[in-house]
Amino acid sequence: MRASCLGLASCAVCNQLMRLPAVRTGLCPRCGSHVHVRKPASLSNSWALLLAAVIMYFPANLLPIMTVVYLGSGQPDTIISGVIRLMMHGDWPIALVVFVASVLVPLLKMIVLVYLLFSVHRKSNLRRRERTRLYRMTELVGRWSMVDVFVVALLAALVHLGVLADITPGPGARAFAAVVILTMLSAMSFDPRLIWDHEEDCP
Amino acid sequence: MPDSGAGRGRARELVACHQCDELQCIGMLAPGQSAHCYRCGALLARNPAGGLLLPIVLNMSALLLMLLAYFLPFLTLEIQGRSQQTTLPGTAKALYDAGMGETGIVVLLTTVVGPILLVTGSLYVLLSVQLYKPLPGLRHIMVWIGHVLPWGMLDVFMVGVLVAAVKLSDMANLVVGPALYAYVALIVVSTAALSQFEPHIIWARMDRMGVWYRAR
Repeated sequence: MRASCLGLASCAVCNQLMRLPAVRTGLCPRCGSHVHVRKPASLSNSWALLLAAVIMYFPANLLPIMTVVYLGSGQPDTIISGVIRLMMHGDWPIALVVFVASVLVPLLKMIVLVYLLFSVHRKSNLRRRERTRLYRMTELVGRWSMVDVFVVALLAALVHLGVLADITPGPGARAFAAVVILTMLSAMSFDPRLIWDHEEDCP
Repeated sequence: MPDSGAGRGRARELVACHQCDELQCIGMLAPGQSAHCYRCGALLARNPAGGLLLPIVLNMSALLLMLLAYFLPFLTLEIQGRSQQTTLPGTAKALYDAGMGETGIVVLLTTVVGPILLVTGSLYVLLSVQLYKPLPGLRHIMVWIGHVLPWGMLDVFMVGVLVAAVKLSDMANLVVGPALYAYVALIVVSTAALSQFEPHIIWARMDRMGVWYRAR
């Protein structure tokens, strides 16, 4: 039995269960947070943030995330060219880590969110448990995409030796940080309970 | 609807799964045990094996390690006799200096401010609950911890350090500073502290201390 069928809601912050009409202010009696049966405007918020993330994904991958100058010569690096450079160097494990964290994870996360949002719109009855698990995974894995932003910050802080070696961060890093944050916010706005809401009418 | 929970611990508690909204009862959890939703598999509640004292000790150590990790030299780079060093917060400042202040703020929030808030906040709450003394702002801090939790990225930064070290390996000589050792220890300790920190238990304890937003 779903809680909403009985007119019950649980607080998103402290999980306290309560009867909604009894809470006139809409505030949780235990922790004082706003209580909603479902996250408010979940789908539109989630779509909007996801769309913004998709838009930012282009500059994040096309613009250089940093420019490396070593002994007078240097070139700007995008995320992909950084991965390729690591591969050509034979640093396979690290290249794989960067590829998964910076290329694969953000892309898969956006695809998964699009799929979840569409499946809720279609009121799909299929594979609810698997879709909820998919949602949990996107929440868990999203933050690891920040790796490349931290790499750029570290290199920019360390390598400032004039013509000898110099690394300056590029605008791609800013766009990439935006992608990570926007996808995280989009996933947080999505309410997985919507997946289960169309299952059957309340008995 | 909320039950009083005064006095003894509740044997069974009715909760709604926050991922599928299914109502179900959770029984008393033995230390180290966790309860999952029977319908969607989401984690409903845990009872960490360490009780309250272990997370208190872990968070105190994390706080001490933070002092070392944030203020001592983190890494030093040497190329042909010239050298440059940075602290951990210095990485955020480097982005700011390069005209990317917003990105610098993101790095600062996820690697310094977020973790500090989490450790001090949970220490405050744990001590208050352990001493059975409702310290001021207890409820607000618990709410805050829930919001800050997903944004602490100390562990992600560690992978960043590894990648940066590999990228620099044939360009320069990297000298590991004392802060990096403290930082590695900090990741271990703060991850353990987080795994021992269970809001469900803390809220239940606060119920028994009478910390409610609205008196019932």
